[in-house]
Amino acid sequence: MKTKISMAGALLPLLLASCSSMSPAPVEDREVTTRVRAPASQDSAGVQVYSLQNPAVKQLTAQARNAERAGDFDQAGSYLERALRIQPRDPQLLQHMAEIKLQEEDYLQALSFATRSYDIGPRVGEICSRNWRTISVAKEHLDDPKGATDAETRAGQCMNTRPKGL
Amino acid sequence: MVRKAKRTQPKKRKRITRKTARKKPGLLRRLLRLVVLLVGISIGLGLPWVIWLDVQVRNEFEGRKWDVPSRVYARPLSLYAGQQLSRDALLFELEAAGYRQANRASEPGMFSARGGDFEINRRGFVFEDGPQPALRFSLRIGAEAVTSIQSSSGSGDMGLVRLDPAEIASIYPLHDEDRTLVALGDVPELLVTGLQAVEDRQFKHHHGVVLRGIARALVANLKAGRAVQGGSTLTQQLVKNYFLSNERTLVRKVNEAIMAVLLEVHYDKAEILEAYVNEVFLGQQGKHAIHGFGRASEFYFDRPLRDLESQQVALLVGMVRGASFYNPRRNPQRARQRRDQVLDIFADTGLLSIAEVKKAKRRPLGVTAQTRSGTSRYPAFLDLVRRQLHRDYRAEDLSNEGLKIFTTLAPSAQEYAQRALTGGLLDLQQRGLPKDLQAALVLADVASGEVRALVGDRVQGRNGFNRALDARRQIGSVIKPLVYLAALEHSGDYNLLTPVRDEPVSLRQPDGSLWSPANYDKKSHGELALLDALVNSYNQATVKLGLNVGVANIIRKIKQLGVDAEVPAVPATLLGAVELTPIEVTQIFQSLAAGGYTSPLRSVTAVLTPRGELLSRYPLRMMPLDNREAIAVLNYALTRVVEDGTAKNLHGLLGNDTVIAGKTGTTNERRDSWFVGYTRDRVAVSWVGLDDNRPAGVTGSNAAMRVWAGLFRQLPIEPIDLDMPDGAGYLWVNKQQRALTDPACPDAVQIPFINGSEPDRQTRCMQKKQDRDKKSLWRKWFEDKD
Repeated sequence: MKTKISMAGALLPLLLASCSSMSPAPVEDREVTTRVRAPASQDSAGVQVYSLQNPAVKQLTAQARNAERAGDFDQAGSYLERALRIQPRDPQLLQHMAEIKLQEEDYLQALSFATRSYDIGPRVGEICSRNWRTISVAKEHLDDPKGATDAETRAGQCMNTRPKGL
Repeated sequence: MVRKAKRTQPKKRKRITRKTARKKPGLLRRLLRLVVLLVGISIGLGLPWVIWLDVQVRNEFEGRKWDVPSRVYARPLSLYAGQQLSRDALLFELEAAGYRQANRASEPGMFSARGGDFEINRRGFVFEDGPQPALRFSLRIGAEAVTSIQSSSGSGDMGLVRLDPAEIASIYPLHDEDRTLVALGDVPELLVTGLQAVEDRQFKHHHGVVLRGIARALVANLKAGRAVQGGSTLTQQLVKNYFLSNERTLVRKVNEAIMAVLLEVHYDKAEILEAYVNEVFLGQQGKHAIHGFGRASEFYFDRPLRDLESQQVALLVGMVRGASFYNPRRNPQRARQRRDQVLDIFADTGLLSIAEVKKAKRRPLGVTAQTRSGTSRYPAFLDLVRRQLHRDYRAEDLSNEGLKIFTTLAPSAQEYAQRALTGGLLDLQQRGLPKDLQAALVLADVASGEVRALVGDRVQGRNGFNRALDARRQIGSVIKPLVYLAALEHSGDYNLLTPVRDEPVSLRQPDGSLWSPANYDKKSHGELALLDALVNSYNQATVKLGLNVGVANIIRKIKQLGVDAEVPAVPATLLGAVELTPIEVTQIFQSLAAGGYTSPLRSVTAVLTPRGELLSRYPLRMMPLDNREAIAVLNYALTRVVEDGTAKNLHGLLGNDTVIAGKTGTTNERRDSWFVGYTRDRVAVSWVGLDDNRPAGVTGSNAAMRVWAGLFRQLPIEPIDLDMPDGAGYLWVNKQQRALTDPACPDAVQIPFINGSEPDRQTRCMQKKQDRDKKSLWRKWFEDKD
C-alpha cells in the first residue's frame, strides 16, 4: 500500500509535467490532494481549528482556489500573496500557499510556508496534519527520506490535542 | 529629396533666364547641357548622400519617438472593512494616486469626502493579474479603521476593493537618465504657441527650412562678425538636438537643413513639435542633461508642466536659445531679461494681453533653490528599485520600452516617514544638537520583507547621498541582540536567567593596544541575569558573554540573518564596531521580527510589458532558520527593552502601551544613534548622525528613537505575538532565585525557555506548595474512599 502511494507520488509530477501544455490535471488527482488534503481530512475526523477570516481574505482565497483548479499556480500564488498582505499571520493562507508551492514543485518554499503555518498555527487538527504532510512530501522531493518519514509521524500526532506554546 | 530638387531648380532657372537674356541662343543649348550635366552629377552623388541622411534622421526620430519610459507604481491600496486606516492616510493615498476631490465622484479618478464618508470613483487599471474595471463605491472610515465599503450601484457590501496604484516615477531602467515625456495635448497652449512665436513663426507653413530666415541670419551674422542669429526652424533645431554638437561648419548646416526637410516629408507637424518639446536641451544637472520641457519644468520649478504660470512658460521658452547662458539659477538677471523679452513677444503676437504681460513681469523668476531629483518625490526608494531591477532582471528585459514596474512603496507611510525624519531632526536641533544632522529611515513589512518606505536624506526629494542604502556606519549596541541570540542557542549553557558578570574588562587588541570598554553610565553592575544585561545594554557583561560564546559565532549570525558583510573578528565587534547600512540592519531585524523566517527585503513585486504580459513576478519567499526557539526567546527579551530597559521612554513618545520590541544603539563619542523596533507586522530602523562622522551628541534613545516614534505614531501598532514555537515555552520563575516557582508564590513571573534550558531548582515556596498539593491529593483520594 505504502509503495503504491509513493509510486504514485513519484509518477504524478512526471505526469503533470508531461501534460503541462494541455489542461491541468483535475485537483482530485494531484499529489496535493492524494497525499496532503485527503489524508489530513481523514485524520482530523472533524477536528478543525479555523481562524476567523475577514471577507477580503475570503474573497482572495476563493479566487486563489479557482486559479489553482485551472492549474494557474502563479496566479493562485499572486492572490494568496495579496491575502497575506492583509493577514500575514493566517495559518490557513500560509498552508494554502505551501500547497501551491508543492504543485509548482518549488519544494523549498513549500517546506518554508508549511513550517511557518505550523509555527504560528494551532498545531493541532486538520491544518496541523496538512502542515506535516506537506513537509513530508517536500522533504521526500528534497532527498530527505528520514525527514519525510519523521514528518509523516508528526502528522499522525496532530490529533493529540495539547495547548499551544507549552 | 523630391522637394529639394524642385526647390533648387527654379532658382537656377531664374539665373539662367537672366543670363540668357543677354547671351545668344547658341549658348543656351550649351548651358542647358551644362545644367543637365550638373543636375546629373548632383543626383548621382547627392542621392546616395541624401538617402544616407534620411536613414540617419529617421532612425533617430523613430528611436526617440517611441522611447517611452517605464512607469513605476506604488503598491495599490487594498480597502476592506475592518482595515486599520486613518482618514488622513486615505486622503494622502488618494492624492498620491492622482484622485481629485470634488463634490460628487462623478467620473473615474474623482472622490468626495464628508467627514468619514467617502465616495470614490476608481479608475480602470491593468494589473499584473489582469485588468480591473472602473468602479464607484462608498466607504466609511471610523476611528482609525474602515467600517464599511459598499458599491454605489446598490449591490451591497464589497469584500475588497483595490485602488489603481499611484504612479511614482517614470524611469529608463537601463540608463541613468531622467526624462519626463509629455504628450502634445498636455502641453500648455501658451508654450506651444509661444515657442513658435519666439523661435519659428513660419513653423506651420514651412517645409523644414526657411530660406529667408537663413539669409536674414547670414546678413545679421556678417554684420556682427560672429554668429548671433541661428535662423533655424524648430525642425532644424530638433535635428541639431539629435546630433548634439557645437560644430558650426557649413557642411553641418547643410546636412541639418536637408535632414529637416526630410523629417517634414515623413512626419506631420504635430509629431515634430511633440518630439521637439521632449528633446530640446534646457540645462544640466551634474552629469545629466535636462531634455524636454516636462523635465525642465520639474527641474526649475518643481511642478508639472501643465501647472506653469505664463512668466514661467516665458522663461523656459527663452532658455531654448541658450540654456546655460540664461540659466536662471546661475544668471538670474540675464534670465529675467530674457524672460521679459519673451513676454514682450507674447504681447506683440497677441498671445497675452498687455495687462497680463505687465503682471507677469512683476513676478519673480520662481525658480526653486533645491533641484529635485526630478521625476519623483521618492528618489531614495527609486534608488532601491533601480538596484533591485539590475540585480534581478536581465538587461534585455529591461530594455523593453514602456514597462510597468510594480513596487512595494506605501505612499502614506513614505510621507509619514519623511515627516518623522525631517521633523525629528528639527526637533533635535532645537534641543541643541547639530543643525547638519542627517538621518535615514527604512520601514518594511515583517512577514514579507516588502519595503514600504525609505528615506535617505532630511530634505524630501533630494537626490544625493542615499544614507538608507549607502551610509555604512558602526551599529553600536544594535549588535547586542545577536550576541545574546548566539548565547541562547547554546541552550545547555544559557537561558535568560543565567548569571553574567558586568565588571571591568581589558583586552589586548590585534594592534597591541589595550581595550577597556566602559558602560554608558560609567559603572559596573556586578552579577546579573542575562536578560537584565541585554535590557539595560550593559557593555562589560556583553563583552564577557560574547567572548565566551565566541566572536566568530556572532559574525556568523549576521550572515545567517541575511546580510553578507565584511565583519572584523575582533572583540570590539561585540559592542558593534561593525559598519552596516540601515537597510542591512533592517534585513537582520526582519529575520528576527518574523520569528526566524528570512524574507529578502524587496521593493519590486512584478514587471509587466506594455502589452500587459507578465515579464516576471517576484514572489514572496521565506527561509526558515533552525534556531527559531532561540529567536522567539530573544524577541521576548527585546520587548523587555521597551518595557523597562533603555527604550522605556518609547511608550511615552508613542502615546501607546502596546507590547513591541526594540533596541537602541549608540557608538563611541556619540557619533551614531540607532533605533531598531518592530511591532507584529512592521519593522523599522532609524539612524541619526553626521555625514563626516564627527561626534554628534546623539544617543539611541535621544535621537533615532524619536524619529522612529514619529513614524509609528502615524501607523497602526499591533502587539507582538509572543507565543513560543514548538521546543520552547513559558514557565513561572523567581528571577532573583533563578528558580522555578508557582504562580501563587511571591515574585513569580513568566519567562520563556527553550525546552531543556529551564532552571533545575525550585523555590522553597513551590516545593512546599507541591508537598501540600500531594498531601491533599492523598487526602482527597482517601476521602473519596470513605
